[in-house]
Amino acid sequence: MKAILVDVTKCTGCERCVEACIAENDSDPVQAHVDRAVTWDGLSENRLLSLVQIGEGRFARKSCMHCLEPSCVSACLVGGLTKTPEGPVIYDPDKCIGCRYCMLACPFSIPRYEWQETTPFVRKCTMCFERVQEGIPPACVEACPNDALRFGDRDALLDEAHGLIASHRTVYLPRVWGESEYGGTSLLYLSDVDLSSIGWPPRGAGSVPSLTEPLISKTPFIGLGVASGLLGVNWIIRRRMNLQDETDGPGGSGTPDRAGEESA
Amino acid sequence: MRRTRALKDLLWVFALAGLVAGVFRLWFGLGATTNLSDAVPWGLWKIFNMVAGVAISTSGFMVGFLVYVLKLERFRPLMKPAILVAFLGYGCSCLALLFDIGLPFRFWHPFLMWNEHSFLFEVFWCVSLYFTITAIELGPTLFEKLRAERVVAFLHRIAFGVVVVGISLSSLHHSSLGSLFLVTPQRLHPLWYSSLLPLFFIISAAGAGLMFMVLIKIVYARLYDRESVFGPKSEEAIAIVPMGGGSNGNGKERPTGRDLPMLVSLASIATSILGAFGVIQVARLLVDGSWRVLAAGTWESWLFGLEMALLVGLPLFLVWNPQTRRSPTALGLAAISACSGLFLNRMDVGIFGYFRSAGEVYFPSLAEWALSAGVIAAAGLTFLVIVENFSVFDEEWKTRRADMGIFKAKFDSFSLVWNTALSSGLERATVIAVIMIPLAWSLMYPSYARIDALEVEPALGLDVTRTVLCINGNTTGVKTDFPHADHRERLGGDTSCRQCHHMSLPGDETTACFRCHRQMVQSTRIFDHGEHTLAVAESEQLGGIYPSNHSCGVCHPAGEAKSAESAKPCLECHREDARWEEPADQDSDLALAVSYMEAMHENCIPCHRDEAEKPDQKALDDCSTCHRSLKQREVPIETVTMRR
Repeated sequence: MKAILVDVTKCTGCERCVEACIAENDSDPVQAHVDRAVTWDGLSENRLLSLVQIGEGRFARKSCMHCLEPSCVSACLVGGLTKTPEGPVIYDPDKCIGCRYCMLACPFSIPRYEWQETTPFVRKCTMCFERVQEGIPPACVEACPNDALRFGDRDALLDEAHGLIASHRTVYLPRVWGESEYGGTSLLYLSDVDLSSIGWPPRGAGSVPSLTEPLISKTPFIGLGVASGLLGVNWIIRRRMNLQDETDGPGGSGTPDRAGEESA
Repeated sequence: MRRTRALKDLLWVFALAGLVAGVFRLWFGLGATTNLSDAVPWGLWKIFNMVAGVAISTSGFMVGFLVYVLKLERFRPLMKPAILVAFLGYGCSCLALLFDIGLPFRFWHPFLMWNEHSFLFEVFWCVSLYFTITAIELGPTLFEKLRAERVVAFLHRIAFGVVVVGISLSSLHHSSLGSLFLVTPQRLHPLWYSSLLPLFFIISAAGAGLMFMVLIKIVYARLYDRESVFGPKSEEAIAIVPMGGGSNGNGKERPTGRDLPMLVSLASIATSILGAFGVIQVARLLVDGSWRVLAAGTWESWLFGLEMALLVGLPLFLVWNPQTRRSPTALGLAAISACSGLFLNRMDVGIFGYFRSAGEVYFPSLAEWALSAGVIAAAGLTFLVIVENFSVFDEEWKTRRADMGIFKAKFDSFSLVWNTALSSGLERATVIAVIMIPLAWSLMYPSYARIDALEVEPALGLDVTRTVLCINGNTTGVKTDFPHADHRERLGGDTSCRQCHHMSLPGDETTACFRCHRQMVQSTRIFDHGEHTLAVAESEQLGGIYPSNHSCGVCHPAGEAKSAESAKPCLECHREDARWEEPADQDSDLALAVSYMEAMHENCIPCHRDEAEKPDQKALDDCSTCHRSLKQREVPIETVTMRR
């Protein structure tokens, strides 16, 4: 399982990662620059990666966090989103029907939609899946001049992050964002400022699918339970009506109901 | 009859406006026709038409439950109308959804591509199957007309099984519509987010769906069969002793229709269910502590209160208060209140509850309203057509009206043609279409005519000398003060105009600001800030684990904003490197990039000039060789200023 470690203290905000991302994903560079000015967090269908300024002089990367238990993957009704064993969460445009439930489901509000197209698709960071498959780091990591992005095995990066926190206690906050939030993510953040402004939840937030999966796995049983319950209730009522008929004799109070039953 | 005709006209107007909106949606795409955005991806069509529209159509399975499972035979007359309402409700919801999804021609994908972990997948399957069930249940109504007795008999035989399957499917997808919103625990407002959402959705839908059935019956009675609910007209009422005999507050006997007791009974059941919803909702507020959020008095609190009052409070009061219990008007009011409460509740959960976390307010566009109302109006028209031509409700009024000759078209002496055109039916609809489609078109079209947004607006001089202009420099719609004189001077005086004007791209009048000012902390592109932080740290031999992070102070004085203005001038360090007089070196970073026109001229002209030396190629050293518009003027090539 691969991951990217983001060191917020090293990022100078040069946005070379963004430029590399735009080139790698064949986005329209002019529109991408326009979008940076008009979107609140810089993300758009042309900018799958952006830097969000936090306070003064700190920049945090915002893009798909590639959750370990992705809400979008569990939400997509046609299975158009997949969590690959290599780590990236990838999107299959051939399956997508454009319901945009992934956009609602994502806890970080990452997926973007090509609203201006007449045949629109969802766009999101894929951690350069094709490059990762070949063993090359994603374009953003390669472009970073300051070593603020590091690509590697998730466990190794986690160890490295905890090592850095231990050796530089005065520099980093004692928390690796992405270690367990929403069930863990494949983007890990080290920082000396709080990162809640790019969508990180408080410590201990559970994964979103853990809220829905237990419920939806019971669906067939709920359906069958309701059906058998209905049959049971109907059986009791009919039996009581028959008993009523026997005691009242013909022409009793149950008759109109029985007439209705016959017509059905 | 006049009332029915007016209603039909109104429905035609809305349906045709919706048709125009639908054409625009398919033609221009979602972004141009709707006000949806990445922050609010689900809007009116999904929440209002689908989530709420399906919820209001629960009458089909709820009346089936009462009649077939609980054997409450007094509601059997409502069975056929309830199924018709469910069929049309689901039908028009699915139609709206077809326009809402980005790729409508792929609507069938979930049948083949499965993700059984998705609640939306479950909703899709259950809604599709239940829609089929309502079509089967509607079968007897249609086949009776065709006199296919054996088909009708078969459908009656399987009716109980079909109803049971329908109720199971409904209980699944009505709760799952609530579960859809379980995935947004951190974004949906805590007043509406609750793990009980599925339960809330199915209970409120069941209650409000029955109230909608009451409303349909009352509206139907007003349109066609007044006596069945409202009782005989007042002058006749003196002669006829009312059958159901309710009393109002003044102690006077008021005439009531024969179907009113049934409606009151149905409304009582419906409001009991809504009451249960209210009790669970209040208990939830108390248990999970959301009452504190309610007590905060934000606009969400008021919306929540309004929703509960409409959905639970007012209907309960009107139906259970002995003063109003037997009045058809009060019953209708209670039904309208419950239905609008349900719609408000679904809009709250699906749209309004997200405003605070999205930081964005969504208001549907004209086309969204038009399509939304249009599909509902189309369903209403279909309802009226089926009611008039098939046996759905009681049939007595049809023979009565036919005897009175109301269905026969009347002609008077005023204008035979005009009256035929407006008498009824399709001719009348055609006249409405001829007026309505161009009207709706012209109302909605102008907002899409400006789709080519990338245009530079004319600059606005802020002072007499026009040293500062107010421009829309990044073509984003955001205006800024642009120090024009400063730029002109800095870029090289009178010869610098070309750097921004006309030299960037063909057809561009000015170059957008971001073509030079590309990066966040850099003044212009030719200055590489990242390289500088590293190089400065190295040359100054700075310490720390990230030396480059300590290099700011070398150029930016402490205590001042780190901007291009406050930074040290370049020449303080680069005195030797800089050759400001002649930035002609093509390979130097300090050179300006060639423009489109310069590139073309420099690529083409030298070769052209060489070739023109040859005796038979004289025409090549002429601007008009390439610039066709200069053909007449014969401008020699030497007069073109070529500066670098």
